[in-house]
Amino acid sequence: MISLAQMAMAAGFVLILIGFYGALTQRNLLRMIVAFSLANTGVHIVLVAVGHMRGRTAPILDAAVPVADALTRVIDPVPQALVLTAIVIGLGVTALMLAYALKLHARKHTLDIAKMTELKW
Amino acid sequence: MVSALHIITAALAAAFLLGLLKEQQRGLAYGITLLTLALMSWISAGWLWTFASTGTAAVEIFTAGTEPPFAINLRIGLAEAALTLLINLVGLLSALALKDTLLALGRRAMAVWLVAVMALSGIVLTRDLFNLFVFFELTVIASAGLVLLSEHAKNDGQALAAGFKYLIVSQFISAFLLIGIIFAYHATGTLNIDDMAAAAPLLGGGAAQAFALAFFLIFIAVVAELKPFPANGWALDIYESAHPAFSALFSAATGAAALFAVDKLLLIGGDAWLPMATGIGIVTFVAANLLALPQTNDRRLLGYSSIAQTGLILAVLGQRDILGEHTLYIAGGLLLSHAIAKAGLYWLSGLIAERGLEAWAALRGQPLLIFAFVSFISMLSGLPPFPGFYAKWELIHLLAGEGRIVLLGLILFGALLEAGYLFRWFGYIMKREAPTEVVDNVAHKFGAVFATLAALAAAWALSLVWGELAGLQFDRFNMLLALPLLFALAFLLLDWLPVWVKNSLAIAGLLAWFYLTYTEYDPLRMIFAVIFLIGGSLTLLASYHEHGRRIGFYPSAMLMFAGLAMLIRATDSFDFFVAWELLTVGSYFLILRGKHSEPHALSYILFSLGGAFLILAGFALATQGAPYFDLAALADLVQPLAPWVFLLLAIGFMTKTAAIGLHIWLPGAHAEAETDVSPMVSGILLKAGLYGLIVLLLTMGRQDFYGVELINAMLWIGALTALIGNLLAIFQEDAKRLLAYSSIGQMGYAMFGLALMNHLGWLMALMFVINHYVYKSMLFLSVGGVAKRTGTRQMYRMGGLITLMPLSFIATLIGIIAVSGVPPLSGFGGRWIFYNAILTAEARLPMILIFLAGPIAFLYLFRLIYTIFLGQLKDEFRRVKEAPFWIVLPQMIYVAILLVVAVVPGLVLRHVDAYLNHFFPNGGLIWEGTTITSQFGYWNPVAIMIIVGVIFMTLFAWLLFVNRRAQKVKQFNIVFSAERPFRPETTHFAWNFFAPYRKALGFLTLPLVTLFWSTMTDLLHTAGDLARRFYTGNGQTYAFHLLAFVVIVYLFGMGVRP
Repeated sequence: MISLAQMAMAAGFVLILIGFYGALTQRNLLRMIVAFSLANTGVHIVLVAVGHMRGRTAPILDAAVPVADALTRVIDPVPQALVLTAIVIGLGVTALMLAYALKLHARKHTLDIAKMTELKW
Repeated sequence: MVSALHIITAALAAAFLLGLLKEQQRGLAYGITLLTLALMSWISAGWLWTFASTGTAAVEIFTAGTEPPFAINLRIGLAEAALTLLINLVGLLSALALKDTLLALGRRAMAVWLVAVMALSGIVLTRDLFNLFVFFELTVIASAGLVLLSEHAKNDGQALAAGFKYLIVSQFISAFLLIGIIFAYHATGTLNIDDMAAAAPLLGGGAAQAFALAFFLIFIAVVAELKPFPANGWALDIYESAHPAFSALFSAATGAAALFAVDKLLLIGGDAWLPMATGIGIVTFVAANLLALPQTNDRRLLGYSSIAQTGLILAVLGQRDILGEHTLYIAGGLLLSHAIAKAGLYWLSGLIAERGLEAWAALRGQPLLIFAFVSFISMLSGLPPFPGFYAKWELIHLLAGEGRIVLLGLILFGALLEAGYLFRWFGYIMKREAPTEVVDNVAHKFGAVFATLAALAAAWALSLVWGELAGLQFDRFNMLLALPLLFALAFLLLDWLPVWVKNSLAIAGLLAWFYLTYTEYDPLRMIFAVIFLIGGSLTLLASYHEHGRRIGFYPSAMLMFAGLAMLIRATDSFDFFVAWELLTVGSYFLILRGKHSEPHALSYILFSLGGAFLILAGFALATQGAPYFDLAALADLVQPLAPWVFLLLAIGFMTKTAAIGLHIWLPGAHAEAETDVSPMVSGILLKAGLYGLIVLLLTMGRQDFYGVELINAMLWIGALTALIGNLLAIFQEDAKRLLAYSSIGQMGYAMFGLALMNHLGWLMALMFVINHYVYKSMLFLSVGGVAKRTGTRQMYRMGGLITLMPLSFIATLIGIIAVSGVPPLSGFGGRWIFYNAILTAEARLPMILIFLAGPIAFLYLFRLIYTIFLGQLKDEFRRVKEAPFWIVLPQMIYVAILLVVAVVPGLVLRHVDAYLNHFFPNGGLIWEGTTITSQFGYWNPVAIMIIVGVIFMTLFAWLLFVNRRAQKVKQFNIVFSAERPFRPETTHFAWNFFAPYRKALGFLTLPLVTLFWSTMTDLLHTAGDLARRFYTGNGQTYAFHLLAFVVIVYLFGMGVRP
């Protein structure tokens, strides 16, 4: 029986592969950025899936989860923290790439990555 | 002590503070930025001082007040303090160099700059794996912003494209990193690097395999930040297009931080991952240097060099298993050398208006900046006294000790390639036409100049530190503080003085050093000491003839003499090698001073460095892991090592004596050098190679190499060198080239004598050492004087100068009598000993060759005097005067010396003869009164002098008598019969003087060796040029390279791992 976590992880890796494939084959800057967003999402899903523990609750200590039981009832908070940070950073990079795409279009009037090869060798 | 955490908080706080300022308050914002960077540097410096002076253990910093795993911890130790200081200082100096740009762009750019520097320090300080990822991402984002700084001035969109390519690649890298981190965490339950390192080895079975895969992803992601070959096209584009001040940070600081991150990771992975690091590193080092060869854009070239150096350091980190506690010293030395030199060069490039390598000729009017450039490329090439030299020395020794010969060879090969393009570039600076647009407003670029000079100061300060460290480690004196070297360096500070003052100081210095040390030399070394020091000061007399300041001449010349002086005093391999490198570098700068000597100086330094690397490898093999050894201990080496050491050292020394096959650098280098430099590099410098051979043969003697008696091979090489050198000399039209080829032949004789390995052979070789110094210095001076007056070195364009330049004529006459070895001068003594020597040797065939070489020498010498001084005077030279006094004076002294040595050769030789009895007890000469007796006959120099003198005077008087009524024929009594020849020089008798001989023997002088070496360099260039097309410029191709790199390393690396 495939667990939810395993399914999520598989979906995450599939997303990553789709994203990478898109980033390597799409020549349009915006499509590449979308592809990277896909891949990033995949990475985030993998992160969450690795941190998943069956039957546990969110790592928030409140009335529902007394401190004494926390160790057995909440999931490991570290992957959750990591994925939050990763999402923020991913957002930053995506925004930066979009800004780049805008500037590149303004300069070169094209979004084709293959036409940005003045620098080489 | 201020907590190192404040390196990070200060930058963050200041970046926020900048956001609160008004957009117009740019000066204030810039001030805050600089102050913050200075504060960060100061904190690092404080820690560095603490660790260096007290040796305290590293300090942990717990960020959230608790220990890991509940909070992130940072650590600062000696390495961290040094690296953050490097990063923060580069950040500060680059911000200075960026002043105009930052002021124009305002506070946002400054905030990004601060964040970039902070993130790099964070990579160094953090002990948490995820925190490492965060700092890497911060670096990427900040760098992608800072790449655009150059757009402000250039605005051509190149940096935009480069930045986007960088972001594409970094997306892949961060995906690998994140996936790796989460699975590594899953396997070990911690993100703390040290805890993970402790937990990883305890894993078993599937968990261990899963962890290995996760670790591979982390490792390869961080290695990818080091721009490994071939996944580095994006980095090259950034280096080429970014503002040079950013490239300085990107090369020096980012590289250093990423390397340290790899170092931390290797702590987790353990020894199993070291081969992978070594493999990636060394491939990158060699490939990047190869691809750099055909580069013409300065910043891209520096980018290739950065990548190469990073690769080398990665390879060193991968050798940690055998380097052990030396890793820090070696990797640190290489890293700091690379970082300082590269940052300095990038800052310098900010002063150059155009991007071609030749455009750097604009620096020529700025001696201080030239000195900075020289220091930086010497640093990168690992020359003494810079830290990279010590690092290379120790690295090669440890590698040789463990038998990792392939790696050793690749490192030296890559280093030679790198030295090749760096020194070629220096040649462009000194010799190519400077662009009309001189250095891009040095006054306005105060920041860049200041940063460059700060790097220069740091370079020399570090040399001192590394020298001290080497001193502490091996219990020896700091090499940089050796008196001759300091004396040479002092001339850098005195370069503003006029020539005559500096020349007097130089001569006084050489003589004083001889006076201080003369008691230390045995007779053998005494010969060399006299030639190097007394002979050197004699040659320097000719330099009085120069006027003005002659910037750069004295530091170079005295560096060479310092090397020579240290060479003969060296008793162990380290001192010897240091001296060898110093004299090589000094003489390279001297040779480069000639007007047309750019290509020749380059081939000289390449052959010399190649030879030096062979010597280094030989020494390293001989020590078997020890840091250095007594030169006398060479005698204790046994099979199978000994012949290899002998071979390496012998070939190394033979590059200096220009043995056949390794000789092609000599003619150009000696002929194109300045008038007073030619005698120095020919008469004096060549002896360094012979000295090396003498030391080698005295200790190692006969060696059997797979059935080949190596000494016999040397005998053949000596004989062939003598023959071919002389043959080539007779067909030269250029008088100085003729003399240069003749030197090759003469060195062949000396090598032959040494290789005879008997008493008389050595006596003859030493006689050649002395004679060659005297007559070659003299001939180079007189021919140089003639060339100076006539403005040409082509012999067919001279003629009839005997009456106008009588003193030069006398010097040449005496010189050629001495060289040709006819009685009565000292050359005959050499010949006489020589004939005696070969009569006692068994080798018949090389003996015949060397006999043949004798008359050939006579041909070119005859041509020298006949076509320059005899025959018809050319119309345009009617008013030519005698050579300048200071050039003639040393010649006259040499004439006197030759005459004295001719009459009483025992003055010098009998001591040497007696000393040689220690090594070759049989077959010495008997010295009685004025007669010298060997087992085959006797030689009485005084009698010979009298007989020859009487015959000469009689014939001379008779000639005067019969010619008393002769009618003089003037030049224009002959006319061309109404036709002007197409090439007038072909009608001159002196042109192609020995045409019949050329018909007969010309096939022996085909430039096969030159062809071989130029084919080799062409091949390397073509290979580099083809391979670099691989970087298509397409960001997707670069991403594909990265993926291919990861897959290939995985397949290779995981296969290798146990």
